Amino acid sequence: MQTFRLAWRNIWRNKRRTSVTVAAMAVAVLVTTVYSSMVTGYLGNMERDALDLEVGAAEIFAAGYQDKPSVFTAMPDSAAVVRALDAQGIAASERLLAAGLASAGEASAGVTFRGLNVEQDARVLTIGRQVREGEWLDPADPRGVVVGSRLAKTLGVKVGSEIVMLGQATDGSIANELGVVRGILRSVGEATDRSGIFMTQDAFRGFMAYAGGAHQIIIQRQPQVTLELLEPRLEAVAPRHDVQTWRELMPMLGTMLDSTKGLMAFMSLIVNIAIAIVVLNAMLMAVFERIKEFGILKALGAGALDVLKLIYAESMMQVGLAVAAAAVLAVPSLWYLSVVGIDMGALAGVSAMGLSMGSSWQAVVTPATLITPVTMTVAVVTLAVLYPALKAALIEPVRAIHHT
Amino acid sequence: MKRWTTSVVLGLVLLVAGASHAQTPADAALLQQILEAQDTSGRGASSVGTMVMRIRTSNWERALTLKVWSEGTTKTLVVIEAPAKEKGTATLKVDQNIWNYLPKVDRTVKIPGSMMSSSWMGSHLSNDDLVRESRFAEHFRCTFAEKPAGAQGRYVIDCIPKPNAPVVWGKVRIRARAEDKLAEEITYYDEKNALARTVAFSDFAVVAGRKMARVMRTRPADKPDEFTELQFVQMAFDVKHSEQTFTLQALKR
Repeated sequence: MQTFRLAWRNIWRNKRRTSVTVAAMAVAVLVTTVYSSMVTGYLGNMERDALDLEVGAAEIFAAGYQDKPSVFTAMPDSAAVVRALDAQGIAASERLLAAGLASAGEASAGVTFRGLNVEQDARVLTIGRQVREGEWLDPADPRGVVVGSRLAKTLGVKVGSEIVMLGQATDGSIANELGVVRGILRSVGEATDRSGIFMTQDAFRGFMAYAGGAHQIIIQRQPQVTLELLEPRLEAVAPRHDVQTWRELMPMLGTMLDSTKGLMAFMSLIVNIAIAIVVLNAMLMAVFERIKEFGILKALGAGALDVLKLIYAESMMQVGLAVAAAAVLAVPSLWYLSVVGIDMGALAGVSAMGLSMGSSWQAVVTPATLITPVTMTVAVVTLAVLYPALKAALIEPVRAIHHT
Repeated sequence: MKRWTTSVVLGLVLLVAGASHAQTPADAALLQQILEAQDTSGRGASSVGTMVMRIRTSNWERALTLKVWSEGTTKTLVVIEAPAKEKGTATLKVDQNIWNYLPKVDRTVKIPGSMMSSSWMGSHLSNDDLVRESRFAEHFRCTFAEKPAGAQGRYVIDCIPKPNAPVVWGKVRIRARAEDKLAEEITYYDEKNALARTVAFSDFAVVAGRKMARVMRTRPADKPDEFTELQFVQMAFDVKHSEQTFTLQALKR
């Protein structure tokens, strides 16, 4: 207890130096906390936006479908797979897929027809809420289709326009149907924007004369379950099919998230190294100008460990003050950034690498975004103080007293 | 010594190169005649006819009855007459453009460039096959690979497309009958020289004054169990078509 009292008195013997050191530490904690919360928010947003829209946590395909997509390469047991996943609390959506042609007026384009169960799909993905004009699919409107943003532009269609849909039906006949544009999506991703036509599963079955199982099963994003845990569970339910996690489906996104995380850690490290130099300098000064004092302490019977404890107590008190100051400043800024966020303005809706940007960027505060910067600062200070503290602890009293 | 070796090697090279290209004027004329026979067989200045198209894939099998009108090599109109479900579905080809008319939705759709390589009416023929008007005599450089020993023999002719020819193949090999110079098999190789498809001709007969194969079966190399077979049921050549025949209005009728 005496050590603490002594340490507390010592740090206020040079108020200016202590203030500067504490301020530097506080800035480090504040900057790294806000920075990591912002980056975590950004990465989380990106992952959520990208995955919840269309990809999900993982997708299941019939073996061979992805190499050579064909309406005949389907999973006859897709409904059973979805039920089995449901029983485990994992929501999934069955999609029927076929390539074909859509035409309106003089314009035409190659498209992918996607048949889905509206209710089931809404539990898994948010694409149904991404309608820019008109409305999402409704089972009560079997002719209604929803088209991708760029496809709508290519075909020159608006809500209410007719689209001629052409394909190769499974009985060999020419599938042809007149669809009515019910909704136009906002930009959600390259493939859907350019070629996606969504329809209800029943409409798809009628159009393509198709009675088989789904071609694709999309698994809901599972924020609490890691991919390493999820994948074997999916494989157990659908052993004969091809299970692909979002990291396999969108390797670019995975790499980007990982490298951003790496960059975040690296930036924090740089900030902390700068702080370490400031702390080292301050502590060296604090120790060396009190060498005589330490000598007297030791002459009076204090051990090396006592001196070490004293110096560490002083440093940790300063860290404590810095963390408190940082907390006072961080609370309002993190509150603002996580609730209001940064308006992405002109960048909102811009599509890059097959993904679209959201409209605002919000920070996400997790235990990790708070604990990591504090831990890092404590670690850096502990290391920086080591040299002056050892020097003071190990000095011989006689030499210390005669130190000039 | 060195010069001597060089000249011998050079001489040998020239000899070999010369031999492979050796073509007497008589050969060249014969080759031309065979190629012309392929280019004009089953084609007149104009024609009208009925065909049955049988398609077999690993997933389904069906037969369509088609009525076909053509004028030169640039204009073709095909209307499905059976089965009832698709009756009236029609394809019009004028120059490089293809339109499909769909009676069920009563709409005409122009096939975009990006869809040209996809299947025409579910067959193993692509839209491109309809549009691409390559002629052996014009777009290929052909040489005899084999010549028949007798009247029952076969000519084997290898054709390499000329630069800039509207051809997707790397090589085409024609096996033609010695008796009437008509092809009984044409094999198509892709640009990597791998077999892409085989078209076999059979049931040779005189139709409307012309000798031709009445059955043409296309088999893709990667799916040997599948085929598309066109059987000429009735043909008339050099028919005068009305000006309205190859128009979008006619497509609907």
